Amino acid sequence: MGCGRVGAAVATRLAEEGHAVTVLDTNAFAFHRLPSGFTGTCVTGSGTDDRILEEAGVRRADAFIALASGDNRNILAAQKAKHMFGVRIAVSRVKDPLRSELFARLGLRTFSPTKVGAELAYDALFQG
Amino acid sequence: MYIIVVGGGIVGYGLGLELQAMPGHEVTIVERDGGRAAQLREELGEMVVHGDGTEAAFLDTVGCGRADLLIAVTADDGANLVACQVAMHWFNVKRAIARVNDPRNEELFHRLGVDSTISASRAVLAQIEATLPEHTVVPLLRLEGSNLRVVDLRLQGDAPAAGVAIKDLTLPRGTLISLIIRTDGSPQVPSGDSVLHVGDEVIAVIPDDAEEAMRVLITGHPSADGHG
Repeated sequence: MGCGRVGAAVATRLAEEGHAVTVLDTNAFAFHRLPSGFTGTCVTGSGTDDRILEEAGVRRADAFIALASGDNRNILAAQKAKHMFGVRIAVSRVKDPLRSELFARLGLRTFSPTKVGAELAYDALFQG
Repeated sequence: MYIIVVGGGIVGYGLGLELQAMPGHEVTIVERDGGRAAQLREELGEMVVHGDGTEAAFLDTVGCGRADLLIAVTADDGANLVACQVAMHWFNVKRAIARVNDPRNEELFHRLGVDSTISASRAVLAQIEATLPEHTVVPLLRLEGSNLRVVDLRLQGDAPAAGVAIKDLTLPRGTLISLIIRTDGSPQVPSGDSVLHVGDEVIAVIPDDAEEAMRVLITGHPSADGHG
Protein backbone atom coordinates (compact mmCIF):
# COMPACT_ATOMS: atom_id res chain seq x y z
CA MET A 1 0.00 0.00 0.00
CA GLY A 2 1.53 3.25 -1.22
CA CYS A 3 3.65 3.48 -4.34
CA GLY A 4 5.93 6.28 -3.33
CA ARG A 5 9.69 5.95 -3.53
CA VAL A 6 9.85 3.50 -0.65
CA GLY A 7 6.80 1.51 -1.70
CA ALA A 8 8.00 1.22 -5.29
CA ALA A 9 11.47 0.11 -4.19
CA VAL A 10 10.12 -2.55 -1.83
CA ALA A 11 7.60 -3.82 -4.40
CA THR A 12 10.29 -4.01 -7.07
CA ARG A 13 12.64 -5.93 -4.83
CA LEU A 14 9.98 -8.39 -3.70
CA ALA A 15 8.83 -8.98 -7.28
CA GLU A 16 12.43 -9.58 -8.38
CA GLU A 17 12.77 -12.15 -5.62
CA GLY A 18 9.85 -14.04 -7.13
CA HIS A 19 7.01 -13.01 -4.78
CA ALA A 20 3.56 -12.28 -6.14
CA VAL A 21 3.16 -8.57 -5.46
CA THR A 22 0.17 -6.24 -5.73
CA VAL A 23 0.78 -2.51 -5.35
CA LEU A 24 -1.94 -0.12 -4.20
CA ASP A 25 -1.99 3.62 -4.62
CA THR A 26 -4.78 6.19 -4.70
CA ASN A 27 -3.02 7.93 -7.58
CA ALA A 28 -2.39 5.82 -10.69
CA PHE A 29 0.40 8.20 -11.68
CA ALA A 30 2.47 6.82 -8.78
CA PHE A 31 2.90 3.53 -10.63
CA HIS A 32 5.36 5.21 -13.00
CA ARG A 33 7.91 4.70 -10.22
CA LEU A 34 7.84 0.96 -10.89
CA PRO A 35 10.33 -0.38 -13.47
CA SER A 36 8.99 -1.24 -16.91
CA GLY A 37 9.56 -4.95 -16.37
CA PHE A 38 7.61 -5.02 -13.10
CA THR A 39 5.87 -8.37 -12.83
CA GLY A 40 3.39 -7.46 -10.12
CA THR A 41 -0.15 -6.09 -10.29
CA CYS A 42 -1.19 -2.48 -9.77
CA VAL A 43 -4.55 -1.50 -8.23
CA THR A 44 -5.70 2.10 -8.06
CA GLY A 45 -7.53 2.94 -4.85
CA SER A 46 -7.18 3.39 -1.12
CA GLY A 47 -5.69 0.61 0.97
CA THR A 48 -8.02 1.58 3.80
CA ASP A 49 -11.04 0.75 1.63
CA ASP A 50 -12.36 -2.80 2.10
CA ARG A 51 -13.48 -3.07 -1.50
CA ILE A 52 -10.07 -2.14 -2.84
CA LEU A 53 -8.39 -4.56 -0.45
CA GLU A 54 -10.69 -7.35 -1.64
CA GLU A 55 -9.98 -6.44 -5.25
CA ALA A 56 -6.28 -6.67 -4.47
CA GLY A 57 -6.79 -10.18 -3.10
CA VAL A 58 -6.05 -9.37 0.53
CA ARG A 59 -7.74 -12.56 1.74
CA ARG A 60 -5.07 -14.75 0.21
CA ALA A 61 -2.16 -12.43 1.03
CA ASP A 62 0.60 -13.66 3.33
CA ALA A 63 1.79 -10.17 4.13
CA PHE A 64 0.60 -6.58 3.94
CA ILE A 65 2.96 -3.60 3.98
CA ALA A 66 1.56 -0.10 4.58
CA LEU A 67 3.85 2.58 3.18
CA ALA A 68 1.49 5.46 2.45
CA SER A 69 2.34 8.92 3.71
CA GLY A 70 -0.03 9.15 6.67
CA ASP A 71 0.70 7.26 9.88
CA ASN A 72 -2.94 6.83 10.78
CA ARG A 73 -3.93 5.62 7.35
CA ASN A 74 -1.12 3.05 7.45
CA ILE A 75 -2.12 1.88 10.91
CA LEU A 76 -5.79 1.61 9.95
CA ALA A 77 -5.02 -0.39 6.81
CA ALA A 78 -2.49 -2.69 8.46
CA GLN A 79 -4.80 -3.46 11.37
CA LYS A 80 -7.63 -4.08 8.95
CA ALA A 81 -5.51 -6.51 6.92
CA LYS A 82 -4.49 -8.33 10.08
CA HIS A 83 -7.70 -8.35 12.08
CA MET A 84 -10.39 -8.36 9.39
CA PHE A 85 -8.76 -10.27 6.56
CA GLY A 86 -6.47 -12.59 8.48
CA VAL A 87 -3.20 -11.47 6.90
CA ARG A 88 -0.50 -12.97 9.11
CA ILE A 89 2.21 -10.35 8.70
CA ALA A 90 1.18 -6.70 8.78
CA VAL A 91 3.95 -4.14 8.45
CA SER A 92 3.36 -0.43 8.86
CA ARG A 93 5.58 2.58 8.48
CA VAL A 94 4.83 4.94 11.37
CA LYS A 95 6.77 8.19 11.38
CA ASP A 96 5.87 9.16 14.94
CA PRO A 97 8.26 7.10 17.13
CA LEU A 98 5.84 6.77 20.07
CA ARG A 99 3.00 5.68 17.82
CA SER A 100 5.36 3.22 16.16
CA GLU A 101 6.28 1.73 19.54
CA LEU A 102 2.65 1.52 20.65
CA PHE A 103 1.39 -0.27 17.57
CA ALA A 104 4.33 -2.68 17.66
CA ARG A 105 3.04 -3.60 21.10
CA LEU A 106 -0.44 -4.03 19.60
CA GLY A 107 0.66 -6.59 17.04
CA LEU A 108 1.84 -4.72 13.96
CA ARG A 109 5.39 -4.89 12.68
CA THR A 110 6.20 -1.21 12.68
CA PHE A 111 9.23 0.91 11.99
CA SER A 112 9.77 4.61 12.42
CA PRO A 113 11.73 6.34 9.64
CA THR A 114 11.97 9.35 11.95
CA LYS A 115 13.74 7.39 14.65
CA VAL A 116 15.96 5.51 12.21
CA GLY A 117 16.73 8.75 10.36
CA ALA A 118 17.73 10.54 13.55
CA GLU A 119 20.07 7.69 14.47
CA LEU A 120 21.62 7.65 11.02
CA ALA A 121 22.12 11.42 11.10
CA TYR A 122 23.81 11.15 14.47
CA ASP A 123 26.02 8.29 13.32
CA ALA A 124 26.95 10.16 10.15
CA LEU A 125 28.10 13.09 12.26
CA PHE A 126 30.51 11.04 14.36
CA GLN A 127 31.67 8.43 11.87
CA GLY A 128 35.34 8.05 10.92
CA MET B 1 -15.20 13.80 34.51
CA TYR B 2 -12.34 14.89 32.27
CA ILE B 3 -13.24 14.48 28.60
CA ILE B 4 -10.98 14.96 25.59
CA VAL B 5 -12.68 15.53 22.25
CA VAL B 6 -10.46 14.96 19.23
CA GLY B 7 -11.67 16.89 16.20
CA GLY B 8 -13.21 20.34 16.07
CA GLY B 9 -15.53 19.91 13.10
CA ILE B 10 -19.29 20.28 13.34
CA VAL B 11 -19.63 17.29 15.65
CA GLY B 12 -16.75 18.35 17.89
CA TYR B 13 -18.12 21.86 18.07
CA GLY B 14 -21.61 20.63 18.98
CA LEU B 15 -20.15 18.46 21.69
CA GLY B 16 -18.04 21.30 22.98
CA LEU B 17 -21.05 23.57 23.26
CA GLU B 18 -23.04 21.00 25.16
CA LEU B 19 -20.29 19.79 27.44
CA GLN B 20 -19.30 23.34 28.27
CA ALA B 21 -22.82 23.93 29.54
CA MET B 22 -22.58 20.97 31.89
CA PRO B 23 -21.09 21.70 35.27
CA GLY B 24 -18.74 19.21 36.82
CA HIS B 25 -16.98 18.32 33.58
CA GLU B 26 -13.67 19.45 32.27
CA VAL B 27 -13.38 19.33 28.51
CA THR B 28 -10.56 19.80 26.04
CA ILE B 29 -11.20 19.93 22.31
CA VAL B 30 -8.18 19.09 20.20
CA GLU B 31 -8.17 20.48 16.66
CA ARG B 32 -5.30 19.84 14.28
CA ASP B 33 -5.94 22.77 11.93
CA GLY B 34 -4.57 25.99 13.40
CA GLY B 35 -7.06 28.30 11.71
CA ARG B 36 -10.04 26.22 12.72
CA ALA B 37 -8.69 25.93 16.28
CA ALA B 38 -8.37 29.72 16.54
CA GLN B 39 -11.91 30.15 15.25
CA LEU B 40 -13.28 27.65 17.76
CA ARG B 41 -11.28 29.26 20.54
CA GLU B 42 -12.99 32.58 19.93
CA GLU B 43 -16.31 30.93 20.55
CA LEU B 44 -15.56 28.22 23.10
CA GLY B 45 -12.52 29.72 24.81
CA GLU B 46 -9.64 28.01 26.55
CA MET B 47 -11.04 24.52 26.16
CA VAL B 48 -9.91 24.44 22.53
CA VAL B 49 -6.31 23.42 21.92
CA HIS B 50 -4.42 23.32 18.65
CA GLY B 51 -2.61 20.01 18.15
CA ASP B 52 -2.58 16.47 16.79
CA GLY B 53 -4.92 14.31 18.85
CA THR B 54 -3.39 11.11 17.51
CA GLU B 55 0.09 11.94 18.79
CA ALA B 56 0.92 10.57 22.23
CA ALA B 57 3.44 13.34 22.98
CA PHE B 58 0.79 15.98 22.33
CA LEU B 59 -1.99 14.18 24.18
CA ASP B 60 0.33 14.05 27.16
CA THR B 61 0.44 17.86 27.22
CA VAL B 62 -3.35 18.05 27.55
CA GLY B 63 -3.36 15.60 30.45
CA CYS B 64 -4.59 12.50 28.63
CA GLY B 65 -3.28 10.39 31.51
CA ARG B 66 -6.03 11.64 33.78
CA ALA B 67 -8.82 11.65 31.17
CA ASP B 68 -11.93 9.57 31.89
CA LEU B 69 -13.11 9.56 28.31
CA LEU B 70 -11.73 10.34 24.88
CA ILE B 71 -14.10 10.94 21.99
CA ALA B 72 -12.64 11.04 18.49
CA VAL B 73 -14.95 12.69 15.98
CA THR B 74 -12.80 13.74 13.05
CA ALA B 75 -13.83 12.99 9.46
CA ASP B 76 -10.89 10.58 9.19
CA ASP B 77 -11.50 7.03 10.45
CA GLY B 78 -7.78 6.32 10.71
CA ALA B 79 -7.27 9.31 12.98
CA ASN B 80 -10.29 8.40 15.09
CA LEU B 81 -9.15 4.82 15.55
CA VAL B 82 -5.57 5.77 16.36
CA ALA B 83 -6.62 8.51 18.79
CA CYS B 84 -8.76 5.99 20.69
CA GLN B 85 -6.07 3.30 20.70
CA VAL B 86 -3.40 5.74 21.87
CA ALA B 87 -5.72 6.90 24.65
CA MET B 88 -6.57 3.39 25.78
CA HIS B 89 -3.22 1.67 25.41
CA TRP B 90 -0.72 4.47 26.02
CA PHE B 91 -2.60 6.46 28.65
CA ASN B 92 -4.94 3.78 30.05
CA VAL B 93 -8.02 5.88 29.42
CA LYS B 94 -10.89 3.56 30.30
CA ARG B 95 -13.37 4.55 27.67
CA ALA B 96 -12.85 5.72 24.10
CA ILE B 97 -15.53 6.43 21.56
CA ALA B 98 -14.90 6.88 17.87
CA ARG B 99 -17.05 8.29 15.15
CA VAL B 100 -17.01 5.93 12.17
CA ASN B 101 -17.34 7.66 8.84
CA ASP B 102 -17.21 4.49 6.77
CA PRO B 103 -19.67 1.97 8.27
CA ARG B 104 -17.53 -0.87 6.95
CA ASN B 105 -14.93 0.07 9.57
CA GLU B 106 -17.29 -0.49 12.46
CA GLU B 107 -16.45 -4.16 12.94
CA LEU B 108 -12.70 -3.47 12.99
CA PHE B 109 -13.09 -0.78 15.64
CA HIS B 110 -15.17 -3.17 17.69
CA ARG B 111 -12.58 -5.94 17.44
CA LEU B 112 -9.88 -3.53 18.53
CA GLY B 113 -11.79 -2.66 21.68
CA VAL B 114 -12.80 0.86 20.80
CA ASP B 115 -15.81 1.10 23.05
CA SER B 116 -18.57 2.38 20.82
CA THR B 117 -18.63 3.18 17.20
CA ILE B 118 -21.44 4.82 15.35
CA SER B 119 -21.79 6.06 11.84
CA ALA B 120 -23.83 9.22 11.95
CA SER B 121 -22.89 12.33 13.82
CA ARG B 122 -26.29 12.50 15.44
CA ALA B 123 -25.75 9.02 16.79
CA VAL B 124 -22.41 10.11 18.20
CA LEU B 125 -24.19 12.71 20.23
CA ALA B 126 -26.74 10.16 21.38
CA GLN B 127 -23.95 7.83 22.41
CA ILE B 128 -22.34 10.55 24.44
CA GLU B 129 -25.68 11.37 25.91
CA ALA B 130 -25.84 7.76 27.06
CA THR B 131 -22.30 7.90 28.40
CA LEU B 132 -22.73 11.16 30.19
CA PRO B 133 -25.50 11.90 32.68
CA GLU B 134 -29.00 11.24 31.42
CA HIS B 135 -30.30 14.76 31.65
CA THR B 136 -28.35 16.08 28.71
CA VAL B 137 -29.80 18.44 26.15
CA VAL B 138 -27.97 17.51 22.96
CA PRO B 139 -27.76 20.40 20.50
CA LEU B 140 -28.38 19.21 16.97
CA LEU B 141 -28.63 22.42 15.01
CA ARG B 142 -28.66 26.16 15.50
CA LEU B 143 -31.10 27.87 13.16
CA GLU B 144 -29.18 30.76 11.68
CA GLY B 145 -30.70 34.21 11.93
CA SER B 146 -33.01 33.32 14.79
CA ASN B 147 -32.68 32.60 18.47
CA LEU B 148 -33.87 29.06 17.87
CA ARG B 149 -32.10 25.74 18.07
CA VAL B 150 -32.98 22.12 17.53
CA VAL B 151 -32.24 19.88 20.50
CA ASP B 152 -32.54 16.24 21.42
CA LEU B 153 -33.60 15.06 24.88
CA ARG B 154 -34.45 11.69 26.35
CA LEU B 155 -37.45 11.46 28.63
CA GLN B 156 -36.45 10.33 32.12
CA GLY B 157 -38.59 8.45 34.63
CA ASP B 158 -38.83 11.23 37.18
CA ALA B 159 -39.55 13.97 34.63
CA PRO B 160 -42.69 16.10 34.89
CA ALA B 161 -43.56 15.26 31.25
CA ALA B 162 -43.55 11.46 31.73
CA GLY B 163 -46.95 9.95 30.94
CA VAL B 164 -48.44 13.32 30.03
CA ALA B 165 -50.10 14.32 26.73
CA ILE B 166 -48.34 17.17 24.92
CA LYS B 167 -51.40 19.41 25.06
CA ASP B 168 -51.34 19.15 28.85
CA LEU B 169 -47.70 20.17 29.15
CA THR B 170 -46.65 23.68 30.04
CA LEU B 171 -44.00 24.10 27.39
CA PRO B 172 -41.63 27.06 27.47
CA ARG B 173 -42.85 29.88 25.23
CA GLY B 174 -41.86 29.42 21.58
CA THR B 175 -41.10 25.73 21.98
CA LEU B 176 -42.22 23.15 19.43
CA ILE B 177 -41.93 19.41 19.95
CA SER B 178 -41.21 18.28 16.41
CA LEU B 179 -40.61 14.58 16.63
CA ILE B 180 -40.87 11.76 19.13
CA ILE B 181 -38.75 8.68 18.65
CA ARG B 182 -40.27 5.85 20.64
CA THR B 183 -38.13 3.28 22.44
CA ASP B 184 -38.69 0.81 19.59
CA GLY B 185 -37.05 3.32 17.26
CA SER B 186 -40.20 4.39 15.43
CA PRO B 187 -40.48 8.12 14.73
CA GLN B 188 -43.77 9.87 15.30
CA VAL B 189 -44.89 13.39 14.44
CA PRO B 190 -46.68 14.31 17.62
CA SER B 191 -50.17 15.73 17.98
CA GLY B 192 -51.56 17.38 21.10
CA ASP B 193 -52.88 14.02 22.23
CA SER B 194 -49.53 12.24 21.96
CA VAL B 195 -48.39 11.02 25.35
CA LEU B 196 -44.70 11.11 26.19
CA HIS B 197 -43.30 7.92 27.69
CA VAL B 198 -40.13 7.23 29.62
CA GLY B 199 -37.26 6.50 27.23
CA ASP B 200 -38.77 8.46 24.34
CA GLU B 201 -36.38 10.65 22.45
CA VAL B 202 -37.76 14.11 21.94
CA ILE B 203 -36.55 16.37 19.15
CA ALA B 204 -37.68 19.94 19.76
CA VAL B 205 -37.20 23.42 18.39
CA ILE B 206 -36.59 25.73 21.34
CA PRO B 207 -35.64 29.36 21.88
CA ASP B 208 -32.13 29.73 23.33
CA ASP B 209 -33.47 30.80 26.70
CA ALA B 210 -35.80 27.81 27.04
CA GLU B 211 -33.15 25.13 27.35
CA GLU B 212 -33.20 24.96 31.12
CA ALA B 213 -36.99 24.79 31.33
CA MET B 214 -37.05 22.02 28.72
CA ARG B 215 -34.30 20.14 30.52
CA VAL B 216 -36.32 20.12 33.72
CA LEU B 217 -39.55 19.22 31.95
CA ILE B 218 -38.18 16.31 29.92
CA THR B 219 -35.35 15.01 32.07
CA GLY B 220 -36.49 16.06 35.51
CA HIS B 221 -33.07 17.49 36.29
CA PRO B 222 -31.83 21.06 36.33
CA SER B 223 -28.36 21.45 34.86
CA ALA B 224 -26.66 22.55 38.07
CA ASP B 225 -27.37 19.59 40.31
CA GLY B 226 -23.80 18.42 40.41
CA HIS B 227 -22.63 15.25 38.77
CA GLY B 228 -19.45 13.69 37.43
